[in-house]
Amino acid sequence: MPEVFIDNERYEFEGDYMALQFILDLGKEVPFFCYHPSMSIPANCRQCMVKAGQYIKDEETGEYELDENGERKIRWFPKMQTSCALKLSDGMVIQTQETSEEAERAQKDTLEFLLINHPLDCPICDQAGECPLQIQTYKYGPEGSRFEVKKVHKPKRVQLGPRVTLDAERCINCTRCVRFAEEISETNQLTIVSRGDKNYPMTAPSETFDDPYSLNTVDICPVGALTSTDFRFKARVWEMNQTPSIDITNGKGCNIDLWTRDNEVLRITPRHNPEVNDYWMPDEGREAFEQFNKNRVSRPSITLDENNQSNTSWNNAVETFAEILEAHDPDQLAVFGTPHASVEENYAFNKFFNLLGASNARFTPHIIPGYGDDFLITDDQAPNTNGCRLINLEETDDTGIQSAVTSAKVVIILSDDLVGRGVLSADDLADRYTISLATNQSDTTEASDLVIPITCVAEHAASYVNIDGRIQRSFPAKETKYTNRRLNLEMSEGRLDRYGTNFDNWVNEEHKIDCLPVWEFLNHLGERIGLEFQYDHSRAIFDEMSDRIDPLKGISYERMDEELGVQLPIEQQEVTQA
Amino acid sequence: MTEQELAFTQDELDEIERIKAKFPTNKAATLRVLWVAQEKYGHVKPEVQNLVADTLDLPRSHVHGVASFYTQYYKEETGTYVLDVCTCLSCQVCGGYDILHHLEDELGIKAGETTEDGMFTIQEVECLGACGYAPMLQVTNGVYANNLTKEKVDKLIENLRKGKKPEFESMVMRQNEKRKKELSQ
Ligand code: SF4
Ligand code: FES
Ligand code: FES
Repeated sequence: MPEVFIDNERYEFEGDYMALQFILDLGKEVPFFCYHPSMSIPANCRQCMVKAGQYIKDEETGEYELDENGERKIRWFPKMQTSCALKLSDGMVIQTQETSEEAERAQKDTLEFLLINHPLDCPICDQAGECPLQIQTYKYGPEGSRFEVKKVHKPKRVQLGPRVTLDAERCINCTRCVRFAEEISETNQLTIVSRGDKNYPMTAPSETFDDPYSLNTVDICPVGALTSTDFRFKARVWEMNQTPSIDITNGKGCNIDLWTRDNEVLRITPRHNPEVNDYWMPDEGREAFEQFNKNRVSRPSITLDENNQSNTSWNNAVETFAEILEAHDPDQLAVFGTPHASVEENYAFNKFFNLLGASNARFTPHIIPGYGDDFLITDDQAPNTNGCRLINLEETDDTGIQSAVTSAKVVIILSDDLVGRGVLSADDLADRYTISLATNQSDTTEASDLVIPITCVAEHAASYVNIDGRIQRSFPAKETKYTNRRLNLEMSEGRLDRYGTNFDNWVNEEHKIDCLPVWEFLNHLGERIGLEFQYDHSRAIFDEMSDRIDPLKGISYERMDEELGVQLPIEQQEVTQA
Repeated sequence: MTEQELAFTQDELDEIERIKAKFPTNKAATLRVLWVAQEKYGHVKPEVQNLVADTLDLPRSHVHGVASFYTQYYKEETGTYVLDVCTCLSCQVCGGYDILHHLEDELGIKAGETTEDGMFTIQEVECLGACGYAPMLQVTNGVYANNLTKEKVDKLIENLRKGKKPEFESMVMRQNEKRKKELSQ
């Protein structure tokens, strides 16, 4: 097998490899900026330099030539090589900054060049703390600069598009953003303008960077040149918690991280999953951060007279719900599950009403035909359509929902804005007692008589089956009134959570929503009406499902965590309007 | 000028087709076609760049990037004469900035600006490959004026005002002068 020698260690390799990626895969490091594993390799930042050469082989014997000490002779390449673009070949010798002073020096000098016109404004830069330029400079850079002349000034605070703000002075012209728009999102909206020390990325003058994937450039920009207009100056990254989750704004189920501080979700970034979204996600999925913080249903509410809703206690909510259930036969209930909630929520919800004697909950997919693209945006507006199918909820079209409402006395809706998305009208619900279990205020909660606040994807651990039949799960990222990250080992704890107290001025109790996971609420309700129904954790629901539902056999949260989600052996149904 | 008014004539389009045929991709024809456009309009302002991009079926951003890279493409309307003063390394060392500042003072404008009478535009440019005869300037993407002194610049301006462009000078590097003499003898 072909062999390479990196920092005096021998490694075997098979197939085509670039030195940098090979070294990174070994868990070793060479500093770099412009290279990105999912894009073309322009080798323009020059940061990844290594010293490289080749052991000399005797052409005839095929034996390595030896010097007088019996060591293999090396023919060094005449110049330093950019490791990102250096293809490994048999007998190649590479010395990184670890073993070659020349490589170390080359990297240091490159950094000195890159920093000549860089403003060094890390104290006010959003990227600080997660900035490759900052990190590499600390690790490999020079201690100071020999350039004492005035820096070149370039445009600042340029609104490149509706969501991305550019600070051209910070740019090191790695062209990652330009290549992203060319190769990944294929809108070709960016280019590098001007040249030399004056260049920076820009759109054509008649265009704006409204690429539906534009915010990915903010993630891959190795400096603070491209920033998210929404997130600019909101928080230092080291003050936030990062919690893995799933994008719930469409059917693709992009893997994401939720970034929270003091129980507010401040930004959403993609999490690498080669099977689903690679390194990317649509901008729309990031805008969902607001719906986790704002406009939430917090504390149960009840309609007193015609249009007046008023908050009420959990006890009263349980009592009212119970009285309604006791006053009606199961066949007078219309029970609606939803592709907008997780498998666990739908399963527990459906099971509860099954136990009461009602037939399976109905749901209608939320599809906007033609909305999607061939990439990460789907026609399906919900994260769990296939999950509802998996647990056999009754799939129906909008008319099915309408007629179920017409023949019912009580309508119970799990987390679905059926009025807002035009399946029902507020009038349809007017003469029926309507109960919404919901995360956010909507036209549907407004038309409801009893609203039960439930946890959203940012507050519970639960799984979702995406459009391709892959089951993936979320973790609780945000505390509710009734959870505590110090006690819940599933939750991550950031610096502020660990060292802050309730009396610190950055802590705001309001950020914790007064809501319960739907299964926990149903536990209380079950207890009140004497139903045998008890789930302490979504994990218990999942375990039960995996015992009972064939495609879920052998699947657990642990497997989903280790394998970045599990592809279910279900028929890959096209998600279409039923 | 609105975009609707901009269009290549059939002759120009034919020429563009001939240019395209010389290259494996349309992208490679960008430089030459920008040139066709600049000859026609005297500049390649954004709307002209768009015309080029749309004609070649290329992203507008790409053509904009190329046009902005080269000082030889005029991104704004210019004076009759564009004086591209080199201030890159060799010229700088030989007094390129003195020449630039002298010109600026003489014409009462700064680099990047055009005189009110629309006669002159000054641009500060990078190396034009004439380092051996530094400092130097180029007149409207044409002839070079080499080995400049303030006096030579004054004379140049005076001549240009009269509509007289400098002649092409065949230059020899100092170290080659002797050889040239020997050869000509
Ligand atoms: S803005 Fe960022 S990603 Fe784009 S070229 Fe500059 S440094 Fe690279
Ligand atoms: S990472 Fe290799 S040159 Fe930029
Ligand atoms: S530096 Fe002026 S022509 Fe080369």
